[in-house]
Amino acid sequence: MDNQPLPYSTGQPPAPGGAPVAGMPGAAGLPPVPHHHLLQQQQAQLQAFWAYQRQEAERASASDFKNHQLPLARIKKIMKADEDVRMISAEAPVLFAKACELFILELTIRSWLHAEENKRRTLQRNDVAAAIARTDVFDFLVDIVPREEAKEEPGSALGFAAPGTGVVGAGAPGGAPAAGMPYYYPPMGQPAPMMPAWHVPAWDPAWQQGAADVDQSGSFSEEGQGFGAGHGGAASFPPAPPTSE
Amino acid sequence: MDSSFLPAGADNGSAGGANNGGGAAQQAPPIREQDRLMPIANVIRIMRRVLPAHAKISDDAKETIQECVSEYISFITGEANERCQREQRKTITAEDVLWAMSRLGFDDYVEPLSVYLHRYREFEGEARGVGLAPAPPRGDHHHHHHSVPPSMLNKSRGPGSGAVMLPHHHHHDMHASMYGGAVPPPPHHGFLMPHPQGGHYLPYPYEPTSYGGEHALASGYYGGAAYAPGNNGGSGDGSGGSASHAPPGGSGGGFDHPHTFAYK
Repeated sequence: MDNQPLPYSTGQPPAPGGAPVAGMPGAAGLPPVPHHHLLQQQQAQLQAFWAYQRQEAERASASDFKNHQLPLARIKKIMKADEDVRMISAEAPVLFAKACELFILELTIRSWLHAEENKRRTLQRNDVAAAIARTDVFDFLVDIVPREEAKEEPGSALGFAAPGTGVVGAGAPGGAPAAGMPYYYPPMGQPAPMMPAWHVPAWDPAWQQGAADVDQSGSFSEEGQGFGAGHGGAASFPPAPPTSE
Repeated sequence: MDSSFLPAGADNGSAGGANNGGGAAQQAPPIREQDRLMPIANVIRIMRRVLPAHAKISDDAKETIQECVSEYISFITGEANERCQREQRKTITAEDVLWAMSRLGFDDYVEPLSVYLHRYREFEGEARGVGLAPAPPRGDHHHHHHSVPPSMLNKSRGPGSGAVMLPHHHHHDMHASMYGGAVPPPPHHGFLMPHPQGGHYLPYPYEPTSYGGEHALASGYYGGAAYAPGNNGGSGDGSGGSASHAPPGGSGGGFDHPHTFAYK
């Protein structure tokens, strides 16, 4: 294909025949996934996202610097809204344009993971609230959403956030205890997830399917602008894959 | 050198004007509501990049993300500005922004942004070298050059690399005008493949000076990435179709940051 598939996936299209999303609790034909495995999958997706971003930064090109995803003038106005801010170097808004892009992407992924857990295909405000509640580094955003929004819905696979506390719950009904497990990517690693044999076939196809799906939409709405499907040029200099072994 | 590119120049020019106006306005009327948030169309476009095609986004989710982005900018800017004031400086620099992110826990952001900033500076240096509408440096810019010696190194490299890049840059422009920017990126990227390595090699010693702290953090990140094996496996599967193209990207990445990418 002209564009390499994205190395991460935050969802997958419905299987033929309307089968439920693989890996979701209660999925027909599949044993329910223990919730700590779900957490590990989510961690893997976020980790893949950051690995991809490191590769993407390497490929920043002239057109990227000319056509920022977010307007620099608006960024400067928001920075200057703080009366203590005096002068801003020309590079700071450029850097913020990229930083905000990463921020939107990370927050969207984490929010979508919550929507998926609740078997919805529409990203809602409470998904964003849940993502904020679960992620320590997003604590500065707790005032943006009402606390009630952070409550987990009944039947949520992960059972976070006891009502009114805004903190991670001790465990999920029917799932392994989550106490002490980090919900923001930990700086120090943990042992690689030990997937039971029956789980592997259900996980890998979903990963590739989701990646293919995202790649298709991405190539038209975003990648197409950056790399294009130039016939001769693309053939001669295809973009590097997200990761190389 | 922002004015060397018309769109960017126009944007920065208007940004400057708007800022002056904004500065004056801050003493009179408060900042306008629509200027307080990022444009929702831009935000949605970015969100779509990581959502599956069948995903929908409710209006309240869009608005919430908009609010979060502005809060993020203010949060980081506040921390960066405190550092500036502590060090009795008036201008918030890109380094201050990176420092603030690291301090506030956005460690994952620091490395891709450091790489991005480095690429941007190379681009600026090359642009200045080709002599496209060089603008008189603003005081802010001048100050930046003084405060960050590595930039001077970058600047000195400009003329040489500029001479090399001149024909290609013209080529790029022509393609841009012919195909609306859809085609140029591949050849541009490919053509730059050998030169960035050479370019990267020359200023390599200045990497530690500017990004030692960030890369130290990045090294820690890699050291702690116990999930990496499984993740890389998944990524490998995903990019299997383009495995034959791995060498250029891989060598480039390894060359740029050999001490950072633990998995190479």
